[in-house]
Amino acid sequence: VSETSPDTHSAAAARTRRPSAVGGMDVGRFVRERGRRWARFEALLRDVERLPDHEMGATRLLELVRLYRQTCSDLNEARSGTANAELLGRLNGLAGRGYRIVYRRSLGRRLLDEARRFVAVGAPAAFRRERASVLAAAAAFLLGAALGFGAVVASPDNGARLVPPQFHTESPKDRVERIERSEERVDSLDEASAFSAFLFTHNIRVSFLAFSLGALTLVGGAWILFYNGVIFGAVTAAYVLDGVSLFFFAWVGPHGALELPAIVFGGAAGLCLGRALLLPGSQSVGASLRRALPSVWRMLVATALVLIVAGFVEGSLSQMSAKTVPYPLKIAVAALLFAGLIFWLFGRRLGPEEEEA
Amino acid sequence: VRAAHPRVILTPEHVEIRLEPAGLGSRFIALIVDLILVTALTGMVSQVTRGVLPGAVGIVAQALALLVLTWGYHVYFEVRHQGQSPGKRIVGIRVVDGRGLPLSLEQSFVRNVVRVLDALPVGYALGAIVCQLDPHRRRLGDIAADTLVVRERHGQAYERRSTGARAFNSLRTPRVLRLVRHRVGLEEREFLATLCLRADGMEDKARFDLMEEVGRHYKERLGIEDPHMSGENLVRGLAGVLFAEQAAGRAGR
Repeated sequence: VSETSPDTHSAAAARTRRPSAVGGMDVGRFVRERGRRWARFEALLRDVERLPDHEMGATRLLELVRLYRQTCSDLNEARSGTANAELLGRLNGLAGRGYRIVYRRSLGRRLLDEARRFVAVGAPAAFRRERASVLAAAAAFLLGAALGFGAVVASPDNGARLVPPQFHTESPKDRVERIERSEERVDSLDEASAFSAFLFTHNIRVSFLAFSLGALTLVGGAWILFYNGVIFGAVTAAYVLDGVSLFFFAWVGPHGALELPAIVFGGAAGLCLGRALLLPGSQSVGASLRRALPSVWRMLVATALVLIVAGFVEGSLSQMSAKTVPYPLKIAVAALLFAGLIFWLFGRRLGPEEEEA
Repeated sequence: VRAAHPRVILTPEHVEIRLEPAGLGSRFIALIVDLILVTALTGMVSQVTRGVLPGAVGIVAQALALLVLTWGYHVYFEVRHQGQSPGKRIVGIRVVDGRGLPLSLEQSFVRNVVRVLDALPVGYALGAIVCQLDPHRRRLGDIAADTLVVRERHGQAYERRSTGARAFNSLRTPRVLRLVRHRVGLEEREFLATLCLRADGMEDKARFDLMEEVGRHYKERLGIEDPHMSGENLVRGLAGVLFAEQAAGRAGR
């Protein structure tokens, strides 16, 4: 047994030098010999958790890695020799913190680069990879819309049953006449921006809630998409039956062209994560979640961005009647926005960068 | 309510690391601290944006800033500050990836988006219930992102609070040592050590009763015939023998 290298001696060596009472280890000695090393490790951990790597410097980082490995071996040694809960707890805690530092991924690029890459490649690539979820979500919404529309066309009374009561205070035709006769609803920039801000804040919260429900239950997310489709279909049918479809599409179109896809996108992200969580297949749940998460969070951020733009459109252009903006122009803007959105996410060639994203 | 279980991970060094889940209470305190901070920040941001920028621009800037603050506060701290928001730092807990690594941006984002569901219907009731039912104490957001909130131990002065460092120990006889070596398993040793460490925090009566009961058990098991030795003396003596603190203590001083 070498007395000159106290750092590297093994449990067996420690036992040979000082036979302990019952074949376990001599805890007091163990702590006295290694305690300073652990304290140094803890101090380094505190620094590395606070400072960026370049301020830590290579020497200290290497020292940290070395101390991490030594602490791991101390932990193993302590586990085999003692059941002292406090000693094991302390070593376990230190090793856990070290593990997080030693095996972490390198931190990302600069924020602006990240943002540019996100818009150019990240978001479209995520939507393409998860197109099955997007199609499933769109199908749930459209199925609901078709059923809602069909039900109201078959019997207009169904409208009252399908649509929550706060939405039908007057007949669509009366409403259109009232809106077209009265002053513009939103007539100042302040009012428009306040209304827009309210809309996107609220819509993002609701779509994140729908996402969460889908992610944890799958069925709940599909149901929300379907039910929103039913309401949309039923309301559309009511306006079409009353002969005011031009007004309806000009009124809902500009923001609807973004908002309805955003509902589908948020729902699709929920379905995607829900599938990973509840139907992981042959992978572990953790592995399956980690595969899905990079796409899912990009889809969510894209949903939020689309909803912000939709909020501004809904707060301003959508509220204007024919007195200010002719309806065909509003419908043209709606078509343009929808086409732009689809082109952004699905239309362009991404090239080899897509694989990497 | 299910008991909390640590998640065990195996590092490439072949060391098991146990991630101890944080309890509901400490998480709730952390949440309240963060809530107060977010509210204060919200107020400040509103003052600045509405005060500095004119009319419509101010309204929009305020809404966007609040949006970023609402959804970004936790994400920023969890990703950039090793899983600790200020509230979590104060109570000594940390969010980590389910495998013990730092959590990634996407994990942090998703667990904080699902926060809206956990917060339902009021005061995080749903999240708290799910948390108590889950063995790793995860709320819905943690389940969806495979993250854990772990308790962090801070360096304790366990050297002084030794399990049984005493100058004289009548149990240190060859016969008892041999019996102890053969009959007291690792789990029992852990139990005895923990009992000694926790005894100081116990109510007097509870402590006396527990120590007497444990002492009776070991007197029988090890055939110690000493009617005057109290239960606590026996337990501490045994722990002292088991962890050989006596020798270390004498050598150290």
